[in-house]
Amino acid sequence: MYRYDAIDAAILADRAAEFRDQVSRRLSGELSEDQFKPLRLMNGLYLQLHAYMLRVAIPYGTLSADQLRRLALIARRFDKGFGHFTTRTNIQFNWIKLKDAPDILDSLAEVGLHAIQTSGNCIRNTTADPYAGATAEEIDDPRVWSEAIRQWSTLHPEFTYLPRKFKIAVTAAAKDRTAAKVHDIGLKLRRSRDGELGFEVMVGGGMGRTPYLGQTIREHLPARHLLSYLTAILRTYNRLGRRDNIYKARIKILVASLGAEAFGREVEAEWAELDHARIDLPDLELARIRADFNDLPFEALAPVSPALNAAKAADPSLARFVRNNVAAHKVAGYGIVNISLKTPGDVPGDCNADQMDAIAALADAYGFGEIRVTHAQNLVLPHVKLDDVAAVHAGLKEIGLATANIDLASDIIACPGLDFCALANARAIPIAQAIAARFADPVTAEAVGELKIKISGCINACGHHHVGHIGILGVDKKGEEFYQLTLGGSGAEDASLGDVLGPALSADRVAPSVDQLVDVYLRERSPGERFLDTYRRVGLTPFKAAVYAEAV
Amino acid sequence: MTQVVITANSLLEGDVVFWAAGGWVEALADAERFDDGRALDAALETAKRQVVAVIDPYAIDIVIEGGQPVPASYRERIRALGPSTHLEHGKQAVGGAGVEAIAAHAGAGVRSSGRLGLIRRK
Repeated sequence: MYRYDAIDAAILADRAAEFRDQVSRRLSGELSEDQFKPLRLMNGLYLQLHAYMLRVAIPYGTLSADQLRRLALIARRFDKGFGHFTTRTNIQFNWIKLKDAPDILDSLAEVGLHAIQTSGNCIRNTTADPYAGATAEEIDDPRVWSEAIRQWSTLHPEFTYLPRKFKIAVTAAAKDRTAAKVHDIGLKLRRSRDGELGFEVMVGGGMGRTPYLGQTIREHLPARHLLSYLTAILRTYNRLGRRDNIYKARIKILVASLGAEAFGREVEAEWAELDHARIDLPDLELARIRADFNDLPFEALAPVSPALNAAKAADPSLARFVRNNVAAHKVAGYGIVNISLKTPGDVPGDCNADQMDAIAALADAYGFGEIRVTHAQNLVLPHVKLDDVAAVHAGLKEIGLATANIDLASDIIACPGLDFCALANARAIPIAQAIAARFADPVTAEAVGELKIKISGCINACGHHHVGHIGILGVDKKGEEFYQLTLGGSGAEDASLGDVLGPALSADRVAPSVDQLVDVYLRERSPGERFLDTYRRVGLTPFKAAVYAEAV
Repeated sequence: MTQVVITANSLLEGDVVFWAAGGWVEALADAERFDDGRALDAALETAKRQVVAVIDPYAIDIVIEGGQPVPASYRERIRALGPSTHLEHGKQAVGGAGVEAIAAHAGAGVRSSGRLGLIRRK
């Protein structure tokens, strides 16, 4: 994977030292909270309900084993022994003290990690396919381009005070594991008929209180022009985006109000004015980045592992794990191993320090020391020999992370909600736990099949409820927690926004209602249909009837 | 009877704190209770001047249950207890009569319909 160079290291060390000075000036009273707040937010330090929360960037979701061990150390030394992986493929520590924050940033900088651009109206961490460099489906390695975006966007002076925050996703496979169409910019790598590498550029997707799917403004942008074209989009947004109303400041509102075609014309006009050669990544630099991602010594192996097949025959739980959590790798004899952080009963996305250390050790022993974070709040060991999958499974079992439920009903996305978040209206985690408990039996979960349930504790939609097959939004109804259900959303390649099922439900009715929805699906489904497919075929009516039958 | 207390987060640690006699305490049970608007305004004014001690002091409604103060809104109950998902964390980990009262009466839906069980503990 990519290694930070001397410039990156110097930036991180400088930034940590600068923040140490800012904290000491705040503590001495030299800086007021109004002056300090934007400074701490620029370093990912939020104030939540119970404590400060530090959001650490995991650039395009890629971690080394050493970095994961450092996160474990921070969890142990400065937090309560755990961290929370987010839908932005970052990690949040929930119990941070301001006085410790400078030491934490120093510690992160030592391993090339930081909290820069994890808050504020700037270009945030890029989302990339967690299977990057491992799946045979990909046109090109999205990490190469994500790293280019990281270098270009880090502390970019022109794009540090945008109208609102800005999120970019890069995907390169037919199957979209990045939710590209609900990002401000979704980039899909493709090849033109003559073989030229390029991007389909989608703009104006987003969730929050006014969700939109991104619209294509360019079918094929030659890949070498990525940075100048992104500059043109950001410049257009910076110039035309609204700053008078925070709820209308995202690029999605601008694209919707101008129309994608008109917005695209503005971008093209801006792009025509730019000196591309000055902005675009030089071929030499691109080659240097690419080389860092192409350095893994894969072995020549048989495509089938008799050892794994024998182990699966002897252990049904391993067979289930392989069925649900292991995906095909581009290199024969290897697999992509998903680690579910959705053990029913536990908090979605939480990982304790001992688990982090153990996963880092597994990555070192069996996976070239690489770990990925997914937007579904799970982890991935992208390169594991099929011969080693049984050993990895055993190692995960020891730390309680061998749940075989990727994309099943118990693999629920949930934001921290009102248990932690100062913005939340309702809790998300207990709802997720109540639903997961009903699908904790793996046979039941597998029988239901792919079902993506996503829960947000407020309209900001960190829990991606708009694109859940079943989406759940927490609302405050006169001081009580209520939950609005939506059906038929998808953040994948078949992206769509969910439809509201009906009036919001009280907390204790949510999990039973999900059961009722699943029962309707099981009754109505045609062979091979997922929940989403059945919903799209039969529509809202039978589902609505099941959930609201008592009320009628 | 509805009363009011002043709460904030401490600057250094981020912990939830409550106003009492010119300073800050950790437990809601020890917080100074106001039922006089003028006294509250004066205390809030003083509290807001303590800018290197706390961040953004504000007043919250409480009700008295069994002699103990319980926040009216569930958001403030969660602040006064800790996350309902991790009972070993936050103020609830310390325990005591004040915490027990909030936990026991966490369900009292005093703000709206009176429906019980708003905060169901694990």
